[in-house]
Amino acid sequence: MERGEKRVDGFRFLPPGLRAWIRSFIPQGHFTGPIPWTPLAKPLRQATMGLVTSAGISLKIDPPFDMEREKREPTWGDRSFREIPRHTTGDDIDVNHLHINTTYIQQDINVVLPLARMAEFEQEEIIGRLAPTAYAFYGFQWQSMAFLETAIAPIARKLRLEGVETVLLTPA
Amino acid sequence: MEEAGFSTVILTPTPEFHRAIGIPRSVAIEYPFGRPVGQVHDREGQRNVLLKTLKVLEDAQAPGEIWHLPFTWPEEPKKTAWQPPEMSPLIKLYLADIRHARQREAERENAKGPTDGRS
Repeated sequence: MERGEKRVDGFRFLPPGLRAWIRSFIPQGHFTGPIPWTPLAKPLRQATMGLVTSAGISLKIDPPFDMEREKREPTWGDRSFREIPRHTTGDDIDVNHLHINTTYIQQDINVVLPLARMAEFEQEEIIGRLAPTAYAFYGFQWQSMAFLETAIAPIARKLRLEGVETVLLTPA
Repeated sequence: MEEAGFSTVILTPTPEFHRAIGIPRSVAIEYPFGRPVGQVHDREGQRNVLLKTLKVLEDAQAPGEIWHLPFTWPEEPKKTAWQPPEMSPLIKLYLADIRHARQREAERENAKGPTDGRS
């Protein structure tokens, strides 16, 4: 079900070739199977929120996401993940992603991982608490679900250990 | 993650894709890839996007809803420079397919004929 007056065109920024090609993969219409659902158990202003992004962000002190292997094997995407502490800024990170221009994220991490904005909301009591750790994985996963086991499952375990109740996901 | 017991919301520039795969709460935004929250150093703009996203997290009643945000990116698509400096390996691999897809779509557009009211 669609809500809101605008209809976002997810193809708007794609050049015509990519637009045509990608459109051919996406089934028309809404998914009709069962979708998991966990209602918010408490008001947001009491809840602990974690941030997760697929933008290929890593701390400079950690190994970067592997772009060289993807260049050698174009259908392989790094399926690991990284921990990003909540005070991290653009100066502390490497951003590796072969499918987007990463310079904007380097200049301002908040354009895809809004740590500073969420810290403000915590101060303003719009959310209860921002989790101590955010997580990044790599969004290019071509016809492979392996990343669910190697990235998403461990991220979920760690979020739970930090008492996270609600998660904002920001794809690159 | 929702199955693991978290209440999740995704801020997505690709709602057509997420609609097709089934996501608990989607907030659609017409922003270039890589900057779904907003422009570099635009604190106010980023806050506006996020406040609306958090509202969806609170207000959504049933799984599969897609809430479209009203914001318009201020640059023309060509000016956004969102694409990587070098063509991705996957695109290089599929370049012929991409060109064919483009051709087929152009042919479909031509077959429709002029759309300015003449016929």
